[in-house]
Amino acid sequence: MMTTAAKFENQQILVVGATGGLGASIARQLQEEGARLILAGRDTEKLSALVKDLECDSVAVDLANAEGRVQLVDAVDALDGFVYAAGVAPIAPVRYLKDADVDSCLNLNAAAPWLLVRDLLKKKKLNSGASIVCLSSVAAGRGTAGYSAYSASKAALEAFVRCLALEIAPKGMRANCIAPGMIETDMTEAAAERISDEALAEHLKAYPLGVGKPSDVAEATSFLLSEASRWVTGITLSVDGGYSIH
Amino acid sequence: MSLEKFVEDFEEAVEDVEPGSLTALTKYRELEAWDSLAVLTVIAMVDAEYDVRLKAEMLKANNTLEALYAQVCG
Repeated sequence: MMTTAAKFENQQILVVGATGGLGASIARQLQEEGARLILAGRDTEKLSALVKDLECDSVAVDLANAEGRVQLVDAVDALDGFVYAAGVAPIAPVRYLKDADVDSCLNLNAAAPWLLVRDLLKKKKLNSGASIVCLSSVAAGRGTAGYSAYSASKAALEAFVRCLALEIAPKGMRANCIAPGMIETDMTEAAAERISDEALAEHLKAYPLGVGKPSDVAEATSFLLSEASRWVTGITLSVDGGYSIH
Repeated sequence: MSLEKFVEDFEEAVEDVEPGSLTALTKYRELEAWDSLAVLTVIAMVDAEYDVRLKAEMLKANNTLEALYAQVCG
């Protein structure tokens, strides 16, 4: 009987965005489940601390530019799993969207994972049977004032993954998204600074099961990376405490 | 940057406010149009127009547009 520690034994998994709240939780979970991890992130200090803690490999890289993506793909060997957990969430009504916010959303939340997957496939760095998991958001499917750029970028990511899933299926590879709801992380804490307490309290009422934890998303990621989800591909798994069922 | 311009920018950000109806002494949190979207919009306006990142709690901590402007000017 397979133990938790052997779930991903001998599997090499790359977690991009490992220095964020969700990425770090995913990395910790996979490490406990026996994965050989490579962590990629922009914050070198946080990355060093995490790598020291998890005793794994890492690549400090800025995915906002092509050089960073090339550097990352060149640094990894063939992967059994790829998790994209990097992203930005600028909050502004459409009237006050900055060009830079639109660019960063479309670049980091959408184009970067597309192009990373492209390069991993072209350089044959995804093993047969590999599983790809991209973190989307409940915002991809539901409108929220102030989140237009973020929502659009996540919706684009989900559409990309659906098409990708069809293309890689013949190789036994799978690609899925996870759409988390409100989770206690750095990003949601930053968002809370821009939203009134009343608005936040009102928003939280929409979660029948309350606010989520990073470990909730980590468990879902582990499932989608594992053999347990071998017949699951092209989907967006809602992990949102019931938010999307209204 | 001037207080007069800030008041104009604030009026433009918070829709449903009659242009020219606000002054430096306006207690913005008492405006009929003041709601969660207005909070978000003013924060975004200050970021876009003044390159200053206000927090929602700062809008709660101040009363008048004059006081808010002083916060923006730092």
